[in-house]
Amino acid sequence: MNALAGWWDDYFWGSVVIAQIFFVSFIFMILFGLMGAAAKLSQNRIAQSLGSGYTVVFRGTPEILVILLLYFGSAITLTGIAQLFDPSIRYVDIPPFWAGSFAIALIVGSYATETFRGAFLGVSQGSVEAAQALGLTPLQIFIYVRIPEMWRLALPPLSNHALSLIKDTALVSIIGLNETLFVAKQAIGSTGKPFTMYIVVGLIYLAFSTVITLSFMGLERVANRHLVKDR
Amino acid sequence: MFDFGLALRALPEMLGGIGLTFSLLVLSLAFGFALAVVLLLMRISGRWFLSLPAQVYIYVFRGTPILVQIFIIYYGLPQFEWIRDSLFWPILRDPFGCAVVALSLNSGAYVAEILRGGVLGIPQGVTEAGEALGLTARQRFVYLTSPIALRLSLPALGNEVVSMLKSTALASTITMMDMTGIGRTLMAEYFAPYEIFVTLAIIYMVLTFGLQKAMARVEHRMGRYTRKEQ
Repeated sequence: MNALAGWWDDYFWGSVVIAQIFFVSFIFMILFGLMGAAAKLSQNRIAQSLGSGYTVVFRGTPEILVILLLYFGSAITLTGIAQLFDPSIRYVDIPPFWAGSFAIALIVGSYATETFRGAFLGVSQGSVEAAQALGLTPLQIFIYVRIPEMWRLALPPLSNHALSLIKDTALVSIIGLNETLFVAKQAIGSTGKPFTMYIVVGLIYLAFSTVITLSFMGLERVANRHLVKDR
Repeated sequence: MFDFGLALRALPEMLGGIGLTFSLLVLSLAFGFALAVVLLLMRISGRWFLSLPAQVYIYVFRGTPILVQIFIIYYGLPQFEWIRDSLFWPILRDPFGCAVVALSLNSGAYVAEILRGGVLGIPQGVTEAGEALGLTARQRFVYLTSPIALRLSLPALGNEVVSMLKSTALASTITMMDMTGIGRTLMAEYFAPYEIFVTLAIIYMVLTFGLQKAMARVEHRMGRYTRKEQ
């Protein structure tokens, strides 16, 4: 434990980076998931095949490969473009933070696509008809009927997607982001205690997973509160 | 823009790692499954001193990234003298052994939960029928629970096989020369991310597709008694 003295603040800032990647990628993940589901549910043939192409590609490729491809691919493209204007530029890249967040959001978003698709299909036809009978416009039905009912169905799988996201943040260390695994590597270099340092990283992730699980349990309770009988 | 020549040259080189990728996959799945059965039995044993450790194990291994687990086992364990003196050192000294150990431990936790889902899905009537026939608890587990639970959990097991295939790529972070390891070496050599990583991604997608088809066939075969004869 003495070996850890002096590293706590580094681990803390590493955890802050993890939390930041998580929040950014979570928002993008929801966005990609909703877009994917909309594409798959649309009547348009092209949109449908784009949607299924998206899920096939990102569910069939290892996460680490997507991250490497996105980071180095964007770097080489940006460098190429930049050199057209100024040949003296050696290297331009998207910051690893954004490339990594975007990559893991794309990956988990492909799973969320199926979740949202199933949830939208799971909205009971009766509720929609009742809303139509009440004279609600399609937009009102979408906002007041479909979305709330869809959320309730989508929450349990979304909790799993959130857990996948937090665990995938560890992979972003591969493209050189100073999150906890990076901190651990530095700490090992100076203390020579790899087990201690990596176990701390494991515990940090376990804490994140616990917080996420508990938050989603709370959200599910809120979403299902109308189903609980009053006593 | 996209150098097809380079992609075509990289393809056979990366395919050279397919054997290693598959050894990692098959060994981890086999050991993981064995571990999962033990964890499952502990969880459904009804005794808290067995089910609690299993639950904690599953919680810890599902709550942390595989990459961290791999690093703890490969870089972390040699910190201790007694590990280096132990019987397991030949396995833990070797990156391949470590990758298999880490992936198996991880897969065991996930598969245990999948199997538990299958056991919970068994209709009450089946167990009652077994009891009425005078089968012992052990006989009921072997002849009634296991086959039905296995069939019920097959779709989820199929997903687990695919996700393990993707996880084997992480072995490249501990110097293993699986397909991803070779791809990353080629990348360092040519700095051609599109040609190399897109080609590699296509290989993985083809393998994923093949594995999914194979699992669908197993599912079809195992579910044959549930279909009506025409």
